[in-house]
Amino acid sequence: MTRDDARGDRSARKAAALATAIAKLGVDCALEVRGGLALLLPTPEGVTTLQQDETRRAVLALAKEHGFTHVAIELPTERRRSSTPSTDAPLLRD
Amino acid sequence: MAFDLDTVSEADLTAKTSALAAWLRAHAPVAIGYSGGVDSAYLAVVARQTLGADGALAIIGRSASYPAEQWATARDVARRFDVTVLELDTAELDDPRYAANPSNRCYYCKTELWGRLVPVARARGFATVIDGTNADDLSDYRPGAQAAREHHVASPLAELGFTKLHIRHASRALGIPTWQQPSSPCLSSRVPYGTEVTRGRLHQIELAEAALRDLGIAGDLRVRFHDDLARVELAQAELSTWLEPERLAALTEAVMQAGFARVALDLRGFRSGSLNVLHGVSPA
Repeated sequence: MTRDDARGDRSARKAAALATAIAKLGVDCALEVRGGLALLLPTPEGVTTLQQDETRRAVLALAKEHGFTHVAIELPTERRRSSTPSTDAPLLRD
Repeated sequence: MAFDLDTVSEADLTAKTSALAAWLRAHAPVAIGYSGGVDSAYLAVVARQTLGADGALAIIGRSASYPAEQWATARDVARRFDVTVLELDTAELDDPRYAANPSNRCYYCKTELWGRLVPVARARGFATVIDGTNADDLSDYRPGAQAAREHHVASPLAELGFTKLHIRHASRALGIPTWQQPSSPCLSSRVPYGTEVTRGRLHQIELAEAALRDLGIAGDLRVRFHDDLARVELAQAELSTWLEPERLAALTEAVMQAGFARVALDLRGFRSGSLNVLHGVSPA
């Protein structure tokens, strides 16, 4: 295993753990990792849940616990809805 | 946009403004590195009012990293307060050390700025060149400050202990419209260190931010460049509003029109030096 592979594995594990933790808050989303940035790709319902200050604060706290310095949500667009496969599992991209 | 100006002591501010006037008189005439931001606008107006039209010259360095909107503000303040303005073109983007965007990028920018501005000021009889660095800036990561020192540029606001709040408070008292303006660093600050700064990218960021301003976002705002992705930072208080479906769609569309394929909204909201944190230059 190369150093890059190991780093990729760690990153994927970190992302999977965060996605699972966020799902428990009622925010259904896929997750993409870009360095210290956790990019959430929520469903429209997930965006609605994130309108609550308390939920956002909880997501930020979880992200920090999992080693991320930044969390952003990619806004759902027609383009993304048509290109994202339907799945119940977190989508991890790095 | 709300600032806690009540925390500023009137007595402290009076003492500081008197000290600033005395400092300016002792170093007159002065040329000011002028961007039209909160700090340099205040400094330019006070210098003009203290030293008269011949005693103060505000010099703008124009380049692709300087937003057109801010240039318009700089000109507007100068017109309202009768500040004499000189414009110079700067070419920091032509310096490969700047364009490569290292963590000390600001050093190369300010080296270019002061390297052009100081000789012009001196040739016009302005022996003292000053900038709007304030006391808060001293605790932040500011590699540009080294270039200012190398060119003997003085920072009276920082020297006399003016914080940003002091400057906003004093600006409001003088009727300077920038008193409630968000902080406005150059457009290159939206590009992560290590990612090349190009005129095209800066233009894209500027278009996106201008489009968001047109939607009514008045407070803190940054469009951070992450290649195909724009990460939008808004004031925390505005986040819930902009997470409403219709507004969210409008925000996304506005940023995509500027040429970004993907748009993300930062959940923590605006943070000064956010990219420094992301890249480990500043602590989280």
